[in-house]
Amino acid sequence: MNEVLTGSIHPTIEGAVIALLIALAIGATLWWMLHPPASFVQKLAKEAENELERMVGSIIVVFSPDILSTHMMALAAKLARGERSELLAVYIVEVPYTLPPDADMPVEEREALDALGAAETIATNNGVSLRTETIKSRSTKQAVLDLAKREKANLIILGSFREGKYTGAPLGRTIEEIAADAKCDVLIGVEGKHGTLLYDEPTP
Amino acid sequence: MSKDHKPELRRSVTPWGSFSWGYSDVGADIFVGLGLVLGAAAGASNVAFLFAGIVYICIGLAYTELAATYPVAGGGQYFVLRGLGDIFGFIAGWAVLLDFTIDIALFAWSCVDYLSELLPIVSSTGHPWAHFALTIGLIIGLCLLNVIGVRESTAFNGFVSALDIVSETAILTLGFLFAFNPTLLVHTMQSSWPTPFEFMKGISLAIVSFVGLESISQAAEETQRPASIIPRTSIALILTILIFALSYANLALGMQTWHPIPLDAHGHAQLFWQYLGNTENNGKAVALIAKQVPYWGAIAAFYVPVLGAILLLISSNSGVFGSSRIAYAMSSGRLLPSIFQRVHPTFRTPMVSLFVFTAVALLEVVFAALPSLDPTMATLYAQHFNGESGIDFLGDLYAFGAATSYSFVFIALVALRLFDPLSPRKFKIPLNIPLRFRGERAEFPLIAVLGFIGIVAILIFTMITHPIGRVAGPLWILFGLGLYMIYRKRKGLPVLHSFKRDWRSEQTEILRRAGELELMDEYIANLKASEERRAEVNA
Repeated sequence: MNEVLTGSIHPTIEGAVIALLIALAIGATLWWMLHPPASFVQKLAKEAENELERMVGSIIVVFSPDILSTHMMALAAKLARGERSELLAVYIVEVPYTLPPDADMPVEEREALDALGAAETIATNNGVSLRTETIKSRSTKQAVLDLAKREKANLIILGSFREGKYTGAPLGRTIEEIAADAKCDVLIGVEGKHGTLLYDEPTP
Repeated sequence: MSKDHKPELRRSVTPWGSFSWGYSDVGADIFVGLGLVLGAAAGASNVAFLFAGIVYICIGLAYTELAATYPVAGGGQYFVLRGLGDIFGFIAGWAVLLDFTIDIALFAWSCVDYLSELLPIVSSTGHPWAHFALTIGLIIGLCLLNVIGVRESTAFNGFVSALDIVSETAILTLGFLFAFNPTLLVHTMQSSWPTPFEFMKGISLAIVSFVGLESISQAAEETQRPASIIPRTSIALILTILIFALSYANLALGMQTWHPIPLDAHGHAQLFWQYLGNTENNGKAVALIAKQVPYWGAIAAFYVPVLGAILLLISSNSGVFGSSRIAYAMSSGRLLPSIFQRVHPTFRTPMVSLFVFTAVALLEVVFAALPSLDPTMATLYAQHFNGESGIDFLGDLYAFGAATSYSFVFIALVALRLFDPLSPRKFKIPLNIPLRFRGERAEFPLIAVLGFIGIVAILIFTMITHPIGRVAGPLWILFGLGLYMIYRKRKGLPVLHSFKRDWRSEQTEILRRAGELELMDEYIANLKASEERRAEVNA
């Protein structure tokens, strides 16, 4: 019986139905297995990840003579690369009221060039595009808040440091005011070299 | 990090990883089991697979519930230890060890069978010495790789499993689409229905195609969210394997072959299932079916033997690795002498366990190969062992070990339902009878009883139909029990009783380590509520 019918195909309706059922059953089983319901912890993690995506749509990294953000620029560049964010580095030159608003301030402007140059290098090394801007303003805080509004920023990144003494505003007055008044998220990176909490207490 | 931080296994196994750990073990079984069952159960092979498949579903559900409730490495041995005590935990673990050693021998043997499809120089019938030498070489090689700490990675397992599922689905769908003849299936079933003895033998061998769920439980400690993931991966594995086994059996019986079937050894025409089930081909049946699928068979003839050989080698390796891990765990639980915990000074692997159980596997291969290597031995086997030899012998013992350990797992499931009703069960076998036991609400699992009856029936079939299995299997258990009793007595440990263990603290710790924090909270709340109820009753 077998030898007579070899070498040719004989599709049957029953065979076709079984073939279809096998493919569907295997596919459906594996799909079901790979899509388990999320646990409470996973839901929390997912919400945080979604929040991050919203948070890092547009990032501004702020520099000024009092805001040292170069190390945070490196972090911002990595974040922007991972999340494909828009990145803007801005240097605020605070103009004293004793000078006209557009007064030349060659020393500060030179410092701005250094800071923004370093920022561009970091961005290039990380493969992200960066816009840079230098702004002269009477108030650093107001300049940053206006810029954030204009750019519809999702995140402002600032670098700070501990001065090793309590001044009522340990992260710096300007930084704390920006953090208090900004309508978007603010990430402050505090350099830890003057901190004391990480030292192991010697056991008596 | 503090210095007294205890190392824990990293939970990096994803749902697919967990599935592929099981699949690379169970998935290989059909490559071996199909030919054996066709050779024994003939036209009722599909029914034999169905019977074993129903029992397998019960086993799978039991393992799923237990592994999700107690997500620790150890599998069946741990469940039985926890449910029934030390001595039964030992018997179950010792039976699993037998299966792992058979796993090593049987799958290495079958791996060479599949390779022989492309390299006839290692064929078991034409060149038995070459076949034997290569099988022994593969086993020794796997042992040495495990001693130096090389294991197949989860990613590699996942890749091979995915490739195999796609391949087998293609073989089956195209086979049914182009070459399946329902009239031929009915005709074969009617004309080749086996005797009751052959049918029982077929059923006892069909269970071979479903052994290995243990692997998912073994990897429970490394699986992400095991209580949630393991039920899904286990059920998916059960369904996938069942679909493949039933489909292959029906296709083999009702397939209109693409090429003529060669004549048998006596020059007579033979049916396709006879061709697949004879001694020469029963170790490579899947490759031969694939070859007969119209059009696709031309490609499948080349890659299916290779894919089968890789999957079988991975499965053999899981036997080497699994036996050493179980022996190590049993030794840590003071069920086996501490020598089994001895690790290699450089590679930090349990070398004594690896060497001992590889040696057992090598002995099994020698015993299985003797009839094909020496005509005198063939005559001796024919006189005393019903003519059984080679792969049949390994299949016998595999069925015995699996049926024994699974029987204990069913009893352990019932015991744990009654004695540990407070542990949260994210997955529970359906069909339960609610009852009160020792003042707590418990549920009696009917499916476990059904599964127990089924697996005991298979154990009885194995004892009736396998002359080697019915002697060698119980001897293995008795030998182990003797070893256990001597060891426990020498160490001044209870021989027939168990250690006192604080299972409640251990369960909380297990759930914490598993990352199942909601279940841990639930368990603690259950304990508290139970204590309050008892206090009220006492007051």
